[in-house]
Amino acid sequence: MMFLIARPSYFLMLRALRESLRQPAVELTNIFIPMFFFAVTVGAIGGVASKAFGVSNFVGFQMPVAILQAVAGTAGTAGLGTVADIERGYFDKLMVTPAPRLSLVLGRLAADSVRAMVLTVLIVVAGLAAGAGMKSGPAGAVAIVALAGFFGLAYSGIGMAIALRTGSAQAAQAGFLIFFPLLFLSPALAPTEVFANWLQFLATLNPVTYVLQGMRDLILNGWDWQSMAGALGSIAGLAAFTLTLTLLALRGRTG
Amino acid sequence: MSAITVQQLVKHFTAEIKAVDGIDLDIPEGQIFGFLGPNGSGKTTTVRMLTTLLRPTKGSASVAGLDVVRQAGEVRKRIGVALQEAGLDDLQTGRELLHLQGHLFGLGQREAARRASSLLDIVDLAADADRMIKTYSGGMKRRLDLAAALVHGPKIVFLDEPTTGLDPISRAAIWRYVRELNERDGVTFFLTTQYMEEADQLAHDVAIMNAGRIVARGTPAELKASIGSDVVTVHIEGDSGELARAEQAVRRLEGVEDAKALEDSIVVYVREGRRAIARIVRVLDEAGVPVGEVTLAHPSLDDVFLRKTGHHIEPPEAHTLPYASAARQP
Repeated sequence: MMFLIARPSYFLMLRALRESLRQPAVELTNIFIPMFFFAVTVGAIGGVASKAFGVSNFVGFQMPVAILQAVAGTAGTAGLGTVADIERGYFDKLMVTPAPRLSLVLGRLAADSVRAMVLTVLIVVAGLAAGAGMKSGPAGAVAIVALAGFFGLAYSGIGMAIALRTGSAQAAQAGFLIFFPLLFLSPALAPTEVFANWLQFLATLNPVTYVLQGMRDLILNGWDWQSMAGALGSIAGLAAFTLTLTLLALRGRTG
Repeated sequence: MSAITVQQLVKHFTAEIKAVDGIDLDIPEGQIFGFLGPNGSGKTTTVRMLTTLLRPTKGSASVAGLDVVRQAGEVRKRIGVALQEAGLDDLQTGRELLHLQGHLFGLGQREAARRASSLLDIVDLAADADRMIKTYSGGMKRRLDLAAALVHGPKIVFLDEPTTGLDPISRAAIWRYVRELNERDGVTFFLTTQYMEEADQLAHDVAIMNAGRIVARGTPAELKASIGSDVVTVHIEGDSGELARAEQAVRRLEGVEDAKALEDSIVVYVREGRRAIARIVRVLDEAGVPVGEVTLAHPSLDDVFLRKTGHHIEPPEAHTLPYASAARQP
């Protein structure tokens, strides 16, 4: 069964990645925005971060924020691509093939995951060049890229579910918009220790907090298995939620 | 053996919108079946149910002996589908699209490439195979769509209005491929169309849909013979009152089986139409109805539809064409 799903998913992922190569401007936007915020935030707060909330390596502290921003930006591509397929009738052509329905969505989600990993590599390289360091070593950098890939796969399910349910490009972009409150309800700009109680409480409920913390620990503190488990658990929970929504929406299309 | 069987198939989108309202079909293997009807008659909804894209509200349907709801996955392995408006991916090349389609039907790398090349030759797209689909003309897209439907060698193919909006040359090319595949490989085609000529040229058997129901069924020749008379169309240069007077006047004539007022003409079904023309014009003249152009034709499938429903089946740009010619083929 796994092979039956994996094989068509692989070919559909290649097709989605080809699409990206043929529209490079979209990917340039996806990398420009997080890099810009990364530089500006470090430039604005980096100098006072140590005094304000005890973070001496603010470049390393901010690098996961830039990564998650990039991942959330590229995670909308699957939904938007699916809306385009629905609008031009190509999605119906895919639906009348014997490929398992799950593979029709997994192909695009996997492509978002690959894109997320490529962008993450670029940000990690930029962060290291700017002096972020990597306490967990090269294996930690690989782990950050992998976490970004898994998070991209899980997060792009939101846009995909909305795309399948509504067939609307505007609605499918909501996944990216939802990300901003999630990001700012996490310790993106400062550690949770300096948060007000209510904000600290909300941050503990937010899955982005754990993914961010997992990546941040790899950069600033080295390997912390509890932190990694939190990150992976949050991603798994998010993936279960978004994939369920996606499959329900897909089922709704044949009503 | 039946390729497609349909029993009391129903699709209601809401209580008011009854897209398909209880149809029965039995289509033998190796047939080109023409499913005719105007826009909104339920043709596409029927195709979407038969191709597993839509669940029926009631009734049952089987394709290749398999139930379209319970065995949807197996049905999809056995059918080829080209839906309305050639749903393609503009950012792939023609060859890439066919490769992908082959892979999704489980073909290996080499077999998918071989089938793609062979089909690109068949639909005369070999020279354009490595261009992006967004640069293709409408006719090229339809030909590629047809090739994509055939990539896994299905024995049953659904074509939903495959030539709507195409120029006559592209239309003739699609007809040629359909005919060749049917005659050479015994492929069964379920072809929806709103063009009479297409059904006349291609279909062995025809069902005419109107408002979700089948209103006529038979071979094109049988359906046209059921009219049993010639068709005289008289253009009336007047208002609706004069049209009504004209209809009443010609109905009284001997040999007239039926007459219908339609837009700016009356359509008269009459035995021995050639001889009846003079009498029709005379009676209209006596009734003071201003007569314009008069044409005589053998019955067409459009006349069958008109007789059954009181309106034309074809879109306006299509049904003006037969009226311009003096006589149509029986």
